[in-house]
Order: sequence, then structure tokens, then C-alpha cells
Amino acid sequence: MTQLNAADLSTRELNSRLRDLVARDDAEIHVENPGARHNLAVAMLKSGKIRFRGSVGYYCGGLADGISIEIDGSAGWGLAESMLGGTFRVHGNAGNGAAAAIRGGTVVIEGDAAARLGVSMKGGTVIVAGDCGYMAGFMGQKGVLVVCGNAGDAFADSLYATECYVGGEIKSLGTDAVASEVTDEEAAALESLLAANLAPELRALKPQARRFRKVVAGRKLWNFDKREWKIWREAL
Amino acid sequence: MAHLQQSAIFTPGVVESIQHKAQTGLYEMRGFGTLRQRRWATFDDLTFLPCSLTRIPLEGYREKCSTKTLLGTRYAKKPIELDIPVMITGMSWGALSYNAKVALAKGAAAAGSSNTTGDGGMLQAERENSRTLIYEVLPSRYGINIHHMRMADAIELTIGQGAKPGTGGLLLGSKVSNRIAEQRDLPIGVDQRSPARHPDMLGPDDMIIKVEELREATDWQVPIFIKIGASRVFDDVKLAAKAGADVIVVDGMEGGTGASPSIFQEHTGIPTLGAVCEARLALEDCGLYGEVQLIIAGGIRDGVDAAKAIALGADAVYIGTAALIGLNCNKPLYLEDYEALGTAPYACHHCHTGRCPVGITTQDPELMQRLDIDAGAERIQNLLHAMTLEIQMLARSCGKSDVHHLEPEDMAALTMEASAICGIPLAGTRKVFGR
Repeated sequence: MTQLNAADLSTRELNSRLRDLVARDDAEIHVENPGARHNLAVAMLKSGKIRFRGSVGYYCGGLADGISIEIDGSAGWGLAESMLGGTFRVHGNAGNGAAAAIRGGTVVIEGDAAARLGVSMKGGTVIVAGDCGYMAGFMGQKGVLVVCGNAGDAFADSLYATECYVGGEIKSLGTDAVASEVTDEEAAALESLLAANLAPELRALKPQARRFRKVVAGRKLWNFDKREWKIWREAL
Repeated sequence: MAHLQQSAIFTPGVVESIQHKAQTGLYEMRGFGTLRQRRWATFDDLTFLPCSLTRIPLEGYREKCSTKTLLGTRYAKKPIELDIPVMITGMSWGALSYNAKVALAKGAAAAGSSNTTGDGGMLQAERENSRTLIYEVLPSRYGINIHHMRMADAIELTIGQGAKPGTGGLLLGSKVSNRIAEQRDLPIGVDQRSPARHPDMLGPDDMIIKVEELREATDWQVPIFIKIGASRVFDDVKLAAKAGADVIVVDGMEGGTGASPSIFQEHTGIPTLGAVCEARLALEDCGLYGEVQLIIAGGIRDGVDAAKAIALGADAVYIGTAALIGLNCNKPLYLEDYEALGTAPYACHHCHTGRCPVGITTQDPELMQRLDIDAGAERIQNLLHAMTLEIQMLARSCGKSDVHHLEPEDMAALTMEASAICGIPLAGTRKVFGR
């Protein structure tokens, strides 16, 4: 395990060091004093583990492919944005647009997520143990979004094919979002997904998988139809 | 005969538009660009003032006149060096056919210029055939791929485009084929409406951090462009410069699009002539003119437009529609297919339908074959060369040994509007109108 002190390094120096270290097989790096700085561990393109011993700022781990990142504190906007593959775990909360536009990989937020969680996600899996803010899942294209707690306004607005699950209350559904009960098969898959990604003490705080609700696209916005003008007027 | 007189307000076009909406419940959508007939000040309202006694011209066909164009000198370790100041703008694989994208890449490379990806990401064949490839990062992030980004020679963070500033892209279901759907992670056949805002940033303060992220992702090697649709250009250019852009692209309202509500093309944004003037003023105002390079786009047709844009302050120009016309857009071929679309050569703006008669804006394999990649690439190369020769001819006549030495003083305005906009005296007077 290698230890780096972010307080002694500029962002450029730190990211260069991280990239060099990650290029080696089975690298494990602990970064002390990240100081909520922006753009840490951007574009890490190999497997390896980076642990931030504190909070990080915007775009931590953005444009990643293959890296495993753990954040002991909270994360700013755009956590893991546009990731192709890899795993992220945030022990605290995440700011706006966490997991924005990801195309693969897994993002686990053990606290709460702010607005626009998983916006434009194109694949991958996003799990939030707590609550999420408004417009989570907006324009989700593929992948799975799970919120164990409560979801804010306009949840899952204008979805394409992302599958969303909410364990708590949904303040309001977004345009064209359709909620339903989960099937036994879906509940089992959800149980197994949460078991694999959340520690038992976190899972114990959350509703049983059978009580989750599934939200998908009603597909009324997929192609224009003048008979649906009311929904389009709201959407556009 | 008064009873046969048409209304100047409810013209045949307006009548048709109202009846279309009444019939379909849908606003009009189309491709191409503005079709407005009413004139506004354009590059045509300027004329060059070649040398006579007060200036000495260079020999028109002999003396050197450099066209080398350097972009991204502010922060990038590897600025872009192009042979010519005419570049190919971003147009998506999806809006355009595979053959069109590859032909543009190949033609631009042969002419020593660049091409740009577009909404939907990079085609491998596009990279392989490009000399200088600019990778666009758009609000939709369709096809975003860090490995592709790191293969690029520059990154363009697109905030908006001239044909439809303030709104996202459109790709109607007829063009969301299996391959396009896979590339964009979308269901096949959906009417794809791209978002207007980036998913992970909102305002200019976020953008400062976003630009740093893109630099970190590419190790500060390549230039970062920021592209804006021309609306509040003076302020937007300053904010883009503050965000750390190496190069700012300003796309005027004459810019083209593969599909858009027609109201955006006709009633939003400001014309390219005004946009270039505001952009230059903004960079001068913050002391960054020359340090941050400026690319102007939006309805650039030929070397004359390009030369005038350069004289007004641009370092280079983008062409989009002109390049597609070079590939045979609107050429009188396959007339029956134009007719089937309810249109005709020289009046076709049906890119949105996916039934492009000449194989450019289609995903139909049969139609696409009508555009031969090598022949198309050759036409693009020829077009870029010819445009560059036009710029050089004008520059030499104005006594410039480098096209980038053209300046506002080399021109006179032909209309009071152009004089007021460009700060150039009206021909026949010593007066700049409005000052």
C-alpha cells in the first residue's frame, strides 16, 4: 500500500502520481488530506484501489475505466461521471449529478445523494443507501438505479431504458415515469444486489426488497404522438 | 386585381405552416439551417479594400502568403498546427452517415485541416482517417469514451450551437438505427432528444472545474475548446475565457443542423457577423485577444466569408453545411428521391427524415452507398484548397504575407448596419455609424 499526502501535492502532481501507481498491478493507494479538492483521480484507466481518507470535490474519479475508489468522507458534484467501468464507494453523501452519464461500473453511496443522481446514465449500477434529491435518473438510458431511502421530486423523468427502484417514498414521479410493484424475481435480484454492495448494518436500516417499487419509462416520450400532447407539453 | 393579392403577413409559407400545425399538432422540424428571406447584416455587407497607393500588394499567384494556423497556445502542451484556417465542424455519426463522416475526415486530413466528432462519440474509422481530430464533449454525452478522448488532438466542450442555442440535439427515430442506438446506448427507433444542459455542471463556475477535469484527463497535452451558440456573445466569450479555454468557438445563427424545430433556426441567436465582432471585443476587453484563439462558425460559404471573419478577428473558421454541399448535398442527382420527399435539389432541408437522396444524412445502407468515401474525400480536399486559395488571394491583394494579418482596416462597410456592427467606416464616408 502506498500513501500520498494530498496536502503536499498539486492536483496535477497528485493525479500524475496516482496514474503512475495505478499502472502497476494491484496498486493500492491511500490519499490523506484530500481536502474536498476537485478533480482528484480523474481518468484512472487501470484496475487498482484508491482510498481517499476524507472528502473530495467535484468530478472525483470522472472518466474512469477499471479503477476502484473508496471515499471516507463525502463527494462533490459529478462523482464518477462518464465512467466506463470500475467501482466507487462513498461512505458519506454525494453532491449533484453523482454517476452522471456513466456507461458501466458500480457506484455505491452509503449516505444521501443530492439532485440529478444518475442523470443520463447509459449503463452500470447506482445504489444509494439513503435518500436522493430531485430529478434522480433524469433521461436514464440504460443500467440500474436503486435508492433505498426516499426519492425527491420528478423522479425518473424522461427515462429511456434505465430501471429504477425506490425503497422509501417518492415525492413525485417525473414525466412519463411509471411505478409498479416489484415481482418476486425482481425482489430476489434486488436483495442479492444490495447484499453484494451494502454492509449488513446499512441493509438493516432499509426496507425489505419486496417493498421496493420499480419505476420505468412509460415510453410515451420515446416517439412523438400528437395524441399525447399534454405529456409532451410538460416535457418540452 | 386586388382580389388576387396575397397577404404580406399571411404569406403562402405562413399559411402552410399554420395548416401543418393544425393537421399534425406538431411544430415544424427540419434540418439544414435558417431559410429566412429577410436580410440582416452579413459578410456580404463588407468589401475588401485592396492595395493601391497607400499599400503595396503581394503578387497574387507567386509571393508567399502563409495559411498556417496555430490553435491552443494558451495552456496546451501540444497546440494544434493546421496547414489552413478552414476546419470541419462537429457533425454526429447519426445525423450523418458513416460514409459522410469518413469522407470528411479523409478530405480534411488531405487538406491539412481538422475534423470534429459530434453528438454520439467517435468512429474508429474517423480517427484512423483524420490528421487532426477534435473530440466533442456534449451535454448528451452519447458515446462518451475516455479512451477515444485521449486519442484526440483537442477537446471541444460544447455548450450550444448556432442553429439552436439553448436547446439540445434531435435525432428522429428513423435515423436511430441498430448501430446508432448501440453507439448511443439508446433504444432502437426512439426520437432522441438530447439534453440542453450538461449532466454534471450548470453555470460558468462549474465550467472552470469541468475544464480542469478535461485537462487532467488528457494530461494537459491537448487544447480545450469551448463552443457556444451565438446569443449573448460578449459575456459568454468572457466567461469561456475565464473558464480556461484555449480556443473559443462561436457559432452564429446561420449555422446548420441535422434536425431542429424550425423556430430555433429562424428566431434564436444572433448572426455570425455580429457574433465575430462581439467575440473579438470581449477578448480585447479582458486582455486575451491573441492569447485565446477564436474560431467562427455559422453559414461560412467560401473563402470570402472566411477571409472577412479572419479580418474581423477570427483565427480560423468552421464549415459544416458548406462541407456537406461539397459532398453533394442538394445536387440534382436521384431526382425521384427528392420528389418523394416533397422537395427538390437546391431546396432540400430534409436531413431530419433520414432519407437523404445523396447518402449524406441517412443511416439507410442503400442510400449511404450513393456517397463514395474516396470521391467524397477528394471533393472535400478540393473545396478546402479552393477556399484557402480565395483567402490567400484576398490577403495578398491587401498586402498581407500571412492570412492572419488581415484586419478590420482592410475592409469597408456597404451598409450602415454592417458599419455599426463591425466598427468599420461605410464605403464612401469616413464615418463609423453609431459612434
